[in-house]
Amino acid sequence: MQHPLPRRGLLAGLAALPPLAALSACQVQGGADEANASFPTRAVDFWVPFDAGGSGDLISRAVAKAAEEPLGESLPVTNKPGANGAVGLKELLAGKADGYTICLAVKSLFAIGPLVVDDPDAVTIDQLRIITTLTNEGYVLVVHADSPYQTLEDLLAATHVNYGTTGVGTGSQLSAGLLFGIAGVEATDVPFDGGGPTVTALLGKDIDAASLSLAETMPHIQAGDMRALCVFSEERSVYLNEVPTALEKDLNILVDQRRFIVVPADTPDDVVGVLTLAFEDAREGGEYGQFLQDNYMERWEVDGIEAQLHLAEATEQFAAQIAESGVELGTAE
Amino acid sequence: MDFSSVLSGFTVAFEWQNILFCLLGVTVGMLIGVLPGLGPAATIAILLPVTYNLEPTAAVIMLAGIFYGAQYGGTITSVLLKLPGEASTVVTALDGHALARRGQAGPALGIAAIASFIGGTASIILLTFIAPALAGVALAFGPAEYTVLALIGIFLVGTLGNGSVIKSAAAAAAGLLLATVGLDPLLGTPRFTFGTDQLADGIDFTIVAMGLFGVGEILYNLEHRDRPQTGVPSFGRAIPSRLHWLQSRLAILRGSVTGFILGILPGGGATMSSLVAYAVEKRTAKDPSRFGKGAIEGVAGPESANNAAATSSFIPLLTLGIPANATMAVLFGALMLQGITPGPQLMSDHPDVFWGVVNSMYLGNILLLILSIPLIGLFVRMLKVRPGILAPITVVITMIGTYSIRNNAFDMLLVIGLGLLGYGMRKLGFEPGPFVLAFVLGSLLEASFRRSMRIFGGDVTEYVKQPVSGTLVAILVLTVVIVPLLRKVRTRQTAGAEAAGVKAD
Repeated sequence: MQHPLPRRGLLAGLAALPPLAALSACQVQGGADEANASFPTRAVDFWVPFDAGGSGDLISRAVAKAAEEPLGESLPVTNKPGANGAVGLKELLAGKADGYTICLAVKSLFAIGPLVVDDPDAVTIDQLRIITTLTNEGYVLVVHADSPYQTLEDLLAATHVNYGTTGVGTGSQLSAGLLFGIAGVEATDVPFDGGGPTVTALLGKDIDAASLSLAETMPHIQAGDMRALCVFSEERSVYLNEVPTALEKDLNILVDQRRFIVVPADTPDDVVGVLTLAFEDAREGGEYGQFLQDNYMERWEVDGIEAQLHLAEATEQFAAQIAESGVELGTAE
Repeated sequence: MDFSSVLSGFTVAFEWQNILFCLLGVTVGMLIGVLPGLGPAATIAILLPVTYNLEPTAAVIMLAGIFYGAQYGGTITSVLLKLPGEASTVVTALDGHALARRGQAGPALGIAAIASFIGGTASIILLTFIAPALAGVALAFGPAEYTVLALIGIFLVGTLGNGSVIKSAAAAAAGLLLATVGLDPLLGTPRFTFGTDQLADGIDFTIVAMGLFGVGEILYNLEHRDRPQTGVPSFGRAIPSRLHWLQSRLAILRGSVTGFILGILPGGGATMSSLVAYAVEKRTAKDPSRFGKGAIEGVAGPESANNAAATSSFIPLLTLGIPANATMAVLFGALMLQGITPGPQLMSDHPDVFWGVVNSMYLGNILLLILSIPLIGLFVRMLKVRPGILAPITVVITMIGTYSIRNNAFDMLLVIGLGLLGYGMRKLGFEPGPFVLAFVLGSLLEASFRRSMRIFGGDVTEYVKQPVSGTLVAILVLTVVIVPLLRKVRTRQTAGAEAAGVKAD
């Protein structure tokens, strides 16, 4: 049989909505008259609109590997980097909406990008359909271990702060910008080209502080080279339980990065159903779970509609906060 | 330092399956190095799924082998076809290709292989003894230091050219201008992107190098193919003569040290190292006019430097968890997928991986040297193929390589456009070398300068006040102002003395 009965797939399918479970069963039995039964008959291309080796690339490879068994086809990963993910997504939209090409997407492109760059041709979330949500990655504000700033209060009492960011239109820039803006601290942002160079600059004491992802900072925090002052998530991170949230300090800042997989909006429902089921199953995999834990990522597992709602709300919330705090992202020199 | 873990690393490296993966890695690396455009970063990304089921040490030994193996292979196309696939082999193409045109492709590649072997091996030895101490060097280089370093590099680019200084400067200026294409590195404002996302991240270096050098050279040669070939004898001989060895041994030594030190710097270290090595050779040579026309030192110095740099670029990755270049970023990913976090704790948590990988590089370099000799003989025969057949094949391979960088068809149009520009430049006597290197250093200079000015709050004097950047400023002043002045004074004195001598006669 071409699609061997996936054990975990069946369990997940039974646990999920009954119609979807039925779809899955049809696929497994190979019913020729059902449209979904013929999907997939060949490999599904998994595009990553970022460079190889980055967090987005690694998550994609981990989840793609786990999805091969439930989907019954291989999912070769191709990197299509450019413009914070916009190049890959535009190419996805220009292609066929048949489900044979799926693409990773990130929250920052939709929720922060439009606030920084005025692009009338920007990809919007309405043009896409979310087949599965993957991770929620928090940001943590760090200083060098030798820094005189022991706590967030110390840092916010400074006369001037140079803070590094991982680039324009990133959660790193937004979270730190909002922090110093709302707290009214005189601060200069120094954008670097990604997480690695920002970490280097902080370890080299070229900058005073930076807001970075847990994956980028945890090894250095554990090695005692960096000190975490606050996190920007709603609740404390499970990986950094002793570090307070900005909310606890009465600073209303909530910034995170979330990753999900999309197809063009007009992809047939049954095809989306098959893909959604396969990835629900993939997320259950032990190796994928281990990968998330090794990289300090938290799960974000909601349905497509809720995810789209979250993205729309985040955009509005960020726009309002930026207006309120008077922070300028990517416009002031 | 704990030498027992270093020694047990040898035991790991010489397990038979690890030897096999090392051989596999360096062979694949050498082959992809030969294919223009298909770089080690893309290859390692493609091979990542293969490594899932391997033991971590074996996986990284293989992937690392691809990386430094590609450095050996990349030289072959630089020399034979003037097609540098990496920024660090651009300067090798200058004299290497000139040698090939004079019918000395074999010895040029032979010296390159030996220089690569010595540079690589010297770098591993240095890495073993002082890697932990050197981790700090990478951190001592911040935006201010990179600003001065890039500035030194841009002045060194001036020493590359052989023709008119004005034309070299004009080409370099055009390279700097091209480097501004893309989103502003600090503000995200689109610059010269013509409203397309395709240019948002700027133009990839490989595309510029392959367009200007490779495609431009092919177009130029096609026009001249009716001319009789200026003697292409004796290319089978890969073992260099005693004379070649005598001429290049000091260059190899200097290149190895330069490469090792600059390779530690994440961001531009390897490119700078080959450039600095070339400039040093040209300046210390008794007859600098030989450079660009086929000086063997111009191959030996940069080649030992870029291989030493390739090895030492593992230092920031393995000791700090900072990837120094695109390939290191993918290797970083490969380690993460294996559940190993490269960083400050790697050496204590996974000494077997750390030392296993480092020590496998000795073997890898030996294997590459052994592989090189027969392969060089084979590849050099490519020059026997008529240009009418070789040229279209090269263009097709270049196109495939270009596409593989971002899996993007737009880039193939770019490489053709840049090829036409390269052809035009050759016709008008502008050299592509200064253009391409200024392009690489331009992005580094602009972003670093603006970052450091933000950090300094606009105070330029900080460049001199900071210890490391201050030292670099001193080196800059010394090499760019004082040495040329002294030389001018000396030439005038010599000229004066000669004139006096003539009079006395």
